[in-house]
Amino acid sequence: MADRDDTPLASTHLDDQMEDFEPEQKSGFLPIETNWFDRLFISVVIWIALSLFWFRFIEPLGLTIWISNAIALVLAIYIIRKG
Amino acid sequence: MQSKRLGWIFLAPTLVILFFFGVLPFIYVVYVSFHQWNPFAVNPEMVFNGADNFRQIVFDQAFLNSLGVTVLFVVFAVLSELILGYFLAQAFMRDFPGKAIFRTIHTLPLIVAPIIVGSVWKLMTTPSIGIIPHYLDEWFGITMNIGTSATAAFATIVIMDVWHWTPLVTLTLIAALVSLPPDPFEQAQIDGAGKRQIFWHITLPMIAPAVVATVFIRLMDALRTVDEVWMLTGGGPGSATRFVGVHIFKEVFPKTNYGYGSTISVIVLYLTIVVCWLLYVTMLAPRNKKD
Repeated sequence: MADRDDTPLASTHLDDQMEDFEPEQKSGFLPIETNWFDRLFISVVIWIALSLFWFRFIEPLGLTIWISNAIALVLAIYIIRKG
Repeated sequence: MQSKRLGWIFLAPTLVILFFFGVLPFIYVVYVSFHQWNPFAVNPEMVFNGADNFRQIVFDQAFLNSLGVTVLFVVFAVLSELILGYFLAQAFMRDFPGKAIFRTIHTLPLIVAPIIVGSVWKLMTTPSIGIIPHYLDEWFGITMNIGTSATAAFATIVIMDVWHWTPLVTLTLIAALVSLPPDPFEQAQIDGAGKRQIFWHITLPMIAPAVVATVFIRLMDALRTVDEVWMLTGGGPGSATRFVGVHIFKEVFPKTNYGYGSTISVIVLYLTIVVCWLLYVTMLAPRNKKD
């Protein structure tokens, strides 16, 4: 009986566990609070958008897609570290 | 530690199913999208062609047109469903005679399969036998033919989608409205707030998560609409109702162009994710504390 009284409420116990799972939120230059996975996601979204834009408008001018990939990589590193 | 392991054990069946029926097919589609593959050709092998399919897609006028038509359809259909669904949900929050029967009838379209919805609407809109062209002609003198008029075909598909899916929006919004606490509304009324102010400053922010979730579901569904449209218009007249789903179908099955069809699927998935994410960021994501 004593053991039962010492046991925390089930919901409290779960809340503690959820805190363990929640990744660290960060306030960088992005307008929303993000964790590292959010920033990776944003980087991939930008990479794909930039590649499609490059295919449509820049590549016909003679500039290779690898330049777009390099720009996207630099942007990704910047967003993941400072975003 | 043991409860964490127990958590993973409980999650395992779902994760396994998700992996085999969600993640693996997705990886396979992405893989195929980088290949030229016609399994019914003389050479049925997959031929790796780098990003050529993606190069092709940004210049593909047929695809870009279908994307434009789909976006237009999504905007009209989802907005109409949301507005109509909200008013119906508000109506169901009040008591009126015949409410139970009306609520049941209103929910019935949800249980009908999309392919049947398309067939029934085709019957109703076919000139000479359909009830809608008949009464439009008799009452208003309007000739309706979805086989020849692009606007009529598009409008019919939007109306059909709204008829089919508004009940879903109504049900989710009813659930959200029922769960709202009465205190903020009473306080706002005491402070002299009008109905419009209460809606914009209390009701809408409080039901925002439900609204966003509903829009997510409808947006994703509307972007991949195929069966209803296929039954009703087959993508015509011309390419007026050739939504991306129909475009992918025509690319993959009649043309057996599996590689390029996969590329279109990947791009549509990308656009869906981006639109949903932007919606989430705009309406729900926690703001940066520096702002």
